[in-house]
Amino acid sequence: MAKKKAKKPTPAQQARKAKLTAKDKKTLNSLVGMADGVVRQASRGRAPYFEVPSRSLSNVKYSPTKKIIEMGSSKNKRELFNLSQARTYMQTLLVGRGCKELIEQGKTTSIRGLYYLLKHTIDGTREETFNDQGDCDPVIEDVEVTLNALREELHVYASNRGAMVGNIQLIDSGDEIDCSRMGSGGYAIPSIVEEEVMQFVKCDADFILHVEKDTVWRRFNEDKFWKQHNCILTHGNGQPPRGVRRLLSRMHNELGLPIYCLLDNDPWGYYIYSVIKQGSINLAYESRRMAIPGAKFIGLRSRDYELCELNPSVTIKLSDNDIKRANQIAKYPWFEKKKRWQKEIKKMLSNGFKLEVEALISKDISYVTQEYVPERLAEANFLD
Amino acid sequence: MAAKQRSISVSEFFAKNRHLLGFDNPRKALLTTVKEAVDNSLDACEEAGIGPEIWVTITQTEPDRYKVSIQDNGPGILKRQIPLIFGKLLYGSKFHRLRMSRGQQGIGISAAGMYGMLTTGKPVKIVSKLSIRKPAHYYELQIDTKTNNPQILNNRGDGLDIPAGEKGRKIMEKKNIEWEAFYPIPEVGEDETPPEPVEVRSGTRVTLEIEAKYQRGRGSVDEYLEMTAIANPHVTLHYLDPEGTLHTYARSTDQLPPEAKEIKPHPYGVELGRLVTMLKEMKEGTITQFLTSSFSRVSPAVARRICEGADVSTRSSVKKISRDEADKIYKSIQQTKIKAPSTDCIAPIGEELLLKGLHQVVPGEFYVAATRPPSVYRGNPFQIECALAYGGHNAAQKVSRELLERLIDETDARTLRQFLMNTFDGLGADSADKIMKAGEFGSRQSPSKLKQDQIERLHDCMKNVNVSDGQAMQVLRYANRVPLQFKMRDCAITQTVMKMNWRSYGLSQSRSNLPSGPVRVMVHVASVWVPFTSESKEAIAHYDEIQKEIRLGLQTVGRKLGMFLRRRQQVKKEGERRNVFVRYLGEVAQAVSDLNGSDRDEIYNHLTRVAKRVTKEADTKLDDRGNKVTEENYGDNVLIIKDDPEEGLTEQLDKTTPQKKLF
Repeated sequence: MAKKKAKKPTPAQQARKAKLTAKDKKTLNSLVGMADGVVRQASRGRAPYFEVPSRSLSNVKYSPTKKIIEMGSSKNKRELFNLSQARTYMQTLLVGRGCKELIEQGKTTSIRGLYYLLKHTIDGTREETFNDQGDCDPVIEDVEVTLNALREELHVYASNRGAMVGNIQLIDSGDEIDCSRMGSGGYAIPSIVEEEVMQFVKCDADFILHVEKDTVWRRFNEDKFWKQHNCILTHGNGQPPRGVRRLLSRMHNELGLPIYCLLDNDPWGYYIYSVIKQGSINLAYESRRMAIPGAKFIGLRSRDYELCELNPSVTIKLSDNDIKRANQIAKYPWFEKKKRWQKEIKKMLSNGFKLEVEALISKDISYVTQEYVPERLAEANFLD
Repeated sequence: MAAKQRSISVSEFFAKNRHLLGFDNPRKALLTTVKEAVDNSLDACEEAGIGPEIWVTITQTEPDRYKVSIQDNGPGILKRQIPLIFGKLLYGSKFHRLRMSRGQQGIGISAAGMYGMLTTGKPVKIVSKLSIRKPAHYYELQIDTKTNNPQILNNRGDGLDIPAGEKGRKIMEKKNIEWEAFYPIPEVGEDETPPEPVEVRSGTRVTLEIEAKYQRGRGSVDEYLEMTAIANPHVTLHYLDPEGTLHTYARSTDQLPPEAKEIKPHPYGVELGRLVTMLKEMKEGTITQFLTSSFSRVSPAVARRICEGADVSTRSSVKKISRDEADKIYKSIQQTKIKAPSTDCIAPIGEELLLKGLHQVVPGEFYVAATRPPSVYRGNPFQIECALAYGGHNAAQKVSRELLERLIDETDARTLRQFLMNTFDGLGADSADKIMKAGEFGSRQSPSKLKQDQIERLHDCMKNVNVSDGQAMQVLRYANRVPLQFKMRDCAITQTVMKMNWRSYGLSQSRSNLPSGPVRVMVHVASVWVPFTSESKEAIAHYDEIQKEIRLGLQTVGRKLGMFLRRRQQVKKEGERRNVFVRYLGEVAQAVSDLNGSDRDEIYNHLTRVAKRVTKEADTKLDDRGNKVTEENYGDNVLIIKDDPEEGLTEQLDKTTPQKKLF
């Protein structure tokens, strides 16, 4: 520990310090402020603590006017001299120190990288500062909300997940990318897609079709659906990561593209849609930047089983957990007042089974791209 | 066929069915022999009001033959009674009375003599001395299995009279008769003159030669004598084992247990057959006289009510009571309300002496004892006592490096495993194996050839290997101060222990099993008539009343154990809390100093100061039930040994007697 510290101010690092942007300076200031607070409390003989905004369902509010989930004002105390919090308290400060190091050196790292940067054995014990990445990730989110700084402002990013293809050209870290010429794999959506990193050059697409996962996305890409219907095709590999959500939100707001979601007919799919549209409970503080209140839900709908005359063997029985989750979702304030959604969820529960988008393949391999989605788009019959 | 039928004598029956009396195998035969003799000796001494001093000597004569001698300082036996007591089965003073005593039937010692005769052909030798001035009697006896009568072998059927004093001692020496004439001289410091030897004034010595097998461990003579010492703190035992080691269990009190009173049977405890016999035995008088004089708690008023219930005249003569009427009387007794028998006929060990006895023999950190008030089953009064010792198994864990080296130097054990098992209390084979495995020692490693670094490694392993893990609770069972060593699973005591929920007292326990942990529980059932499941007196029968009392007693000691364990947990928690904070303070101070460039040490000092204050406040907080933790909560009869790392073991080493090892 002590040695590490001694090594730090090398000339190279000193030089980099000069390149701080205004945003970096602001973040650094709040990091230092966090430490100052500890010194102030300790020198007065008080037990030091942070106030971390609470990230639970009880502290999020659905704003009917903005149609997004916002974080409330309730805060949790995180005390050093509390048996169950002492460790997380220490970890919070470690994450703060790690971010400061990153910002000063002008580098970014993945959350896994930060975990390794901070992981070491505590002096005089056999205990590790972090046992695994799961130990570290929530602490990073805590630091984000505490400092009111975004993850990219802390120079940390998540792993890439999700892909995009379609009639759009953009610049990513200085490289020009044509998303209509990305082959079968598509353009991997990076974790940080802010203005400074990514700029849109040209867009001819009419709308965005977001699908739940890779397998369905490949079907659409292989059938060149985006060429025929002149759209952008994205997927988020299940629950879309922040990069994907932020990109969708930017394209929707800056390029004025409508967004349609093709997700599974199960509680999980409903919740993915809810996250894209209103924001998530866990990251409620980011809803402003990420939520897309205008997003629409194409399918799969519970009624599609009869409508498309699907084979009974493609259904999956609802588990107890699914039923519980569905009832929970139905009670969320942003679903509660939507009669069509209530009907939809009720229909799924009375069906007693869920349907994956892949179930449509049982009709025909390209049924979903050639008939199902085009028909729904033509009808313009979406769930909102 | 009819011509072949004839009566069977008691002796013949038991000669064929010797397992009924506890002579199933050579190993158990040795124990039973010692046990019967010691029990008789203790009963005799206590009845005569003499502080018992007992010598047990076992020597090997042939590969599978042992000579067993037991001598006491009791009152001795009248000359004409000797042959009957030792040479006739079912002869004794204890069967026909209701009084708390160790022996009950009068089978034991004569059966041992018979067993010796059957297996080795050697007679039973008895020396009995009534007082210091009078001559002692010496008999060599055999039992005639056909007639169940004694045969005197020596001196043409007359026995030998040995004069008192020096002359007699010379005769005994010449004739090779064993007798402990003096009490052992207590050890004194070097500059003091040893006191004059004190002559044994009276006593009985019985010597038998039997086919047997000597083995330590569970169900051994050693275990029996040790358990006896726990439950009889007023007894001094000198035990010379076949390997020539002398074990001495000194008495921890001079106070004899109060004399138990003899009582008449209670009507509820009498069966129909016994009632009929008693009626026959009564030669004259009325039925009312019979009832009031033969039973306890039957007043003339009660007798009248019994007679009314049976539709028998109160003045009818006992001789005229028919079998039918007897049956009616029996039924009427069951329906009549009769006061429970008086319970002052039972002499419990007492909580204080239980603690003393247990502490003297069993190592531990926490001791608790409870004596239940007397109760009644089937008209027989009984009383339950429970005691519990916890911990004390870490002698191996507490030993210092220097002491360990000394121990290794002194040991004569051939392998390291043996050394561990023989030297440290409560360290069993499993635990020794665990230590050996953890230290990667070879199975035949000799302790004397250990190098310095190996000793270091051994020391480390002994400290760190958890030896008390998975060890089951040990249940020490007693009936009228006599240890019960066999048929553990059949016994009402073990069953009750297993049925209890020990988890609520802080021990781990899997469903209806013995709980695990370094715990020893002792249960004593005292009664005028202890209900055994068989003649060999190995397990107590399952009477609901008895089981209930045992449960209540165990709950009392269990609750206190729970308190002790909870409190210990609490102390541990407080220590942990302080530790946790201290552990993280360095990291926190470093991170803060990296973030804002302030002085690390200064922050660290500030934080430590706050930590001290905060944990101090937390320490004085209330325990988990909201009570302030104070020492008084335990109540009476609890003994807590403070953790003193060295003392326990050194004390043991300095004793002149060999180290005590319980099981």
